[in-house]
Amino acid sequence: MAVVSGKRTVLETPGSSPADVFAAAGDQLMIKVLLIEDDRETAEEITAELADRGFEVEWSADGIEGLDKARTLRPDAMIVDRLLPGMDGLTVIEALRKDQVRTPVLVLSALGAVDDRVRGLRMGGDDYLTKPFALVELVARIEALLRRPAESRETTLQVGPLELDLIERTARRGDRRIDLLPREFRLLEYMMQRSDQLLTRAMLLEEVWNYKFVPATNLVDVHMGRLRHKVDGPGEAPMIHNVRGAGFILRTGP
Amino acid sequence: MHQAEIIRSNTFRWALAVAGVFAVFVVVLFGFIYWQTDQYLIARSDRMIASQLDVIAALPGERRLDAISEHLKQDSRGVQYAGLFGADGHKMAGNLEQLPPQLNINESVQSISVVRTLSRDARVIRAIGRRMPNGDTLVIGREVDEAREISHVVGQALALGLLPALCLCLLAGAWLSLRAQKRVEEVNQRVQRIIAGNLRERLPHGNADEPFSKLAAIVNGMLDEMETMIGALAGVGNDIAHDLRTPLTRARLALERGRTNATTLEQLQAVVDKAIANIDQSLAIITALLRLAEIENSRRSAAFGTVSWQEILREVCDIYEPIAENKKVDLRVEAKHRLDVRGDRDLLFEAVANLVDNAVKFTPEGGKVAIELLRGDGQTIVRVTDTGCGIGEQEREAVLRRFYRSDKIRSTPGVGLGLNLVAAIVKLHGFRLAIHSGPGGRLEIICPDKQA
Repeated sequence: MAVVSGKRTVLETPGSSPADVFAAAGDQLMIKVLLIEDDRETAEEITAELADRGFEVEWSADGIEGLDKARTLRPDAMIVDRLLPGMDGLTVIEALRKDQVRTPVLVLSALGAVDDRVRGLRMGGDDYLTKPFALVELVARIEALLRRPAESRETTLQVGPLELDLIERTARRGDRRIDLLPREFRLLEYMMQRSDQLLTRAMLLEEVWNYKFVPATNLVDVHMGRLRHKVDGPGEAPMIHNVRGAGFILRTGP
Repeated sequence: MHQAEIIRSNTFRWALAVAGVFAVFVVVLFGFIYWQTDQYLIARSDRMIASQLDVIAALPGERRLDAISEHLKQDSRGVQYAGLFGADGHKMAGNLEQLPPQLNINESVQSISVVRTLSRDARVIRAIGRRMPNGDTLVIGREVDEAREISHVVGQALALGLLPALCLCLLAGAWLSLRAQKRVEEVNQRVQRIIAGNLRERLPHGNADEPFSKLAAIVNGMLDEMETMIGALAGVGNDIAHDLRTPLTRARLALERGRTNATTLEQLQAVVDKAIANIDQSLAIITALLRLAEIENSRRSAAFGTVSWQEILREVCDIYEPIAENKKVDLRVEAKHRLDVRGDRDLLFEAVANLVDNAVKFTPEGGKVAIELLRGDGQTIVRVTDTGCGIGEQEREAVLRRFYRSDKIRSTPGVGLGLNLVAAIVKLHGFRLAIHSGPGGRLEIICPDKQA
């Protein structure tokens, strides 16, 4: 239906705000995202946000039409709502997977029960977001899907001065050896594999700690605080940044 | 409730069947009595005949003739028969014209057919005959009809009794049927009222042994259970209403005022932030409640596997360690033994995390929180203790109510659903949650060993 191609917006004020983060991401090329969502208002908001980030968005409000577009347009990523007219979202994904189409898919759904998540992922979805969701969350996850770290046989990870030995389970920053607890190592490893990407608290909880539902505490912040303290020593340029209202990001430079 | 229904009802049919069997039995019984009476009377008569014969036979020859005449003279009713016949068969005395041909001499009393003197009807009598030493034959007999008459009277009386007995049976059947119908009708009406919404009603039950009463007791038990559940649901509705409305109201108020009063972009952004925060709070409550419902109604035993408590407890401790440290609370785990249970790893993890989260949250600075894994008597116990304010004796029941937040901790963040979640998870697994009252907090998840 509507094709929205947007230009990326670069805000004048520097600093770690979401806009800057995604401006950097959208720099590379116009990434095509297919959105299959039947609620017009929701679709418009999502489309506008993604377009602002520099994505090219194709929208379909119907399952059958959406499947058709997925096949013909070959998007880089898809956002699929579960409850759709015509053909429900999971069936669309199932059909694509049967055709060996490996496009990463983010499932969007008002159905939030654990069984629904499990089902969504089992039917071929790569990630699952329940409505309502924060737009920042949606975009961060699309990013994550698009820049999934490839299966690597590397035994070390390197981001700027940070180096992680995956066999020895040791870490160093330049010459300084960093003493990490196992959980801190896991967290750093995850962040280094996704350097320069915005990682939301929800993503970290789910993937580093395998924690889908949490008691209301600032778990992630406390752990991140510890890690930051060890990684960003006094006088060193900070590598772990807190993106206000969104999450965290590991990168060299501001 | 009408005739036709009564007649058609099973109870009545049964009553009819019973009446039929009863009737058959009575007929057989009465027949037996009749026959026995008959036999007795005949036997008695026979004995009399035989002894009469003996008496006359014992007399010397000439005297016999007189004896026979005398005997017959005394027979006012004409039921006696006697005869003395010479060796050649001619009649010497008595009221029998000739020696009855069918009579077997010198045997016991038997039934024969004779014709009386001065009469033309043949009669069946009981008679006995004996040959005398001098060649004469002596015959003594008696009519049986008399005995028969007595039996007949008895039989008639008994038959007359049978009809009333049958009627009584049928009436009893009808009455029982009616009574049963009435009870069913009564129960039906009660149930209708209950369905219409009056959950308080219960079925009446008299003494507990009658099957109907047992059934009523069972149904009442069911209704008790239902009333509790519905009460809980209704309660939740109220709780939800309050706890959702509050943050949503705040959001609305902030937006409304902001729209009128905000003059700068920053101010408007602040208003929007506040609104979003409150909406998120409402959503968190909805999500938590839905999760609770999901777990409580869950058939997620499909996701059950073997879960290591040791692993879970160590991991939970690991996660909460920095938080405890920030608060200067000493958090320890003691899980020396490898103890496994059957369950859903994610849910059990969440349950323990909730308990530890609460413990750390409600323990003041400098306090202690301990997570222990122990073996009890045929059970495994996961214990979380803290040196905080604990849960008072009176509060032990209340804490499991939705949204309950003790006054002691009202100032801390939280919605009051954590323990509900733990309780739901524990119940799903068939475990038990034990809440001990102070000092300090002490909660246990008790996992009984399952019989393999």
